[in-house]
Amino acid sequence: MADETDVLVEIQADDARPIYVQIMDEIRRAIVVGGLDGDDPLPSVRELASSLQVNPNTVSRAYRELERDGLVYVRRGRGTFVSPEADREADRRRLAREVAERALRDARRHSLTAEELVASIRAVSDGGGGGDGDRAQRRANQPTEGREES
Amino acid sequence: MIRPTMPVRLDVESPVVETTGLVKRFGETAALSGLDLQVPEGAVYVLVGPNGAGKTTALRVLLDLLRPDAGRAELFGMEPRERPGEVRARIGYVPERQDFHYGWIRVRDLIDHHARYHPRWDPGYAGDLIEELEVPTDRKYARLSKGQARRVQLVLALAHRPPLLLLDEPTDGLDPVGKKKVLGLVADHLASTPTTVLVSTHLVYEAERLGDHLGVMKEGRLTAQLPREKLRDRMHRYLLRTPDGRDPVEGADLEVLQRKRAGRELQLTVWGERSDVVGRLEQAGAEVREASPLSLEESALALLGADERSAARTRREPTAAEV
Repeated sequence: MADETDVLVEIQADDARPIYVQIMDEIRRAIVVGGLDGDDPLPSVRELASSLQVNPNTVSRAYRELERDGLVYVRRGRGTFVSPEADREADRRRLAREVAERALRDARRHSLTAEELVASIRAVSDGGGGGDGDRAQRRANQPTEGREES
Repeated sequence: MIRPTMPVRLDVESPVVETTGLVKRFGETAALSGLDLQVPEGAVYVLVGPNGAGKTTALRVLLDLLRPDAGRAELFGMEPRERPGEVRARIGYVPERQDFHYGWIRVRDLIDHHARYHPRWDPGYAGDLIEELEVPTDRKYARLSKGQARRVQLVLALAHRPPLLLLDEPTDGLDPVGKKKVLGLVADHLASTPTTVLVSTHLVYEAERLGDHLGVMKEGRLTAQLPREKLRDRMHRYLLRTPDGRDPVEGADLEVLQRKRAGRELQLTVWGERSDVVGRLEQAGAEVREASPLSLEESALALLGADERSAARTRREPTAAEV
């Protein structure tokens, strides 16, 4: 059986982000990690809506916003493609920021300060704990090192 | 803490479906008691409510399968009572119960029979749907399981590409794989055919990814009717800590739908502008740890619960809508 779409997009109904934002983030992630390259086509709205069982308007909205952000371009009648000049570095930083924001929200929920969170991320990634959470936490740490955006 | 005033009217011009003060009684029981429903063109409108809230009755009135005792129903600007044929030709309907007056007919013949009544029947599309849904066309309709009958009804509802779909518990009786397939097919259908959908369900999480409007029905009328975006915007769940043990809600001007307390932690579902709500809570001495939007299902549950409580509290003083 052929793969349903060319991009792995996963969304969660109970995620705090609206579905169109989750789709945008997933496409961004695919671009950042190299799953999608310049001029690669995105799945059609219909394909993606059908495979995710989401409202096609939601997919269209995600694609429109990605186009506005300059990450994709539309060729009428042919579909949506990844912009070759998409700034992967900037997007990588943005992705890191979003991961950090999520971690921070979680920390706040547990009554931890940003400093406590950063300190424990350092401790864990400097050879402590290891394990599955290790890599995600290292990424979450990035925005505090590269401060250009804040 | 005050009773939430939820929007019950959509601000849309010429909705595809509109009912005004619809009333339907069965003997002493009022199944519909003043239903004002508005389904905008192109919407996927999710109608929720407990069993017996009147959802199925409402759909049946729209199809002219039931005559209302009072009020008006309009579809595409036409009254189903006056122009039942024209209205039904524009609708694809998946009924809640299987109707057995087709009884012993073979599925293939049932589909052919249906196709003859619909000038816009798309045989190619019907074939695709039959294949995709693995519809057993050689079997007799009455012999099908509930899930198989559902799949047949979906073919009948979709293959003439009607501008309006009325789906009454469309995934009822389907296994998880079947549900996923059906929801995927509906999404695919919406992408290829401009369609307005009114779906009645008690499994709101299934409509989570498709629904863009929510109607909450209780005792024959709507207690909330609003776009999904508005829910995201104005309904949030707040996690708070109350260091001095004071109740920040008491006396505060907040529209609270749900509250749960565990020790000094309080979880509130509040209707209102987020920054405004956070401000009021902090002013009342609470630490706001988290403020997050709710899923469609959580929203529906909060609205159903809130309605129950406020209805109980205001039983002696009916609101303007009730009198």
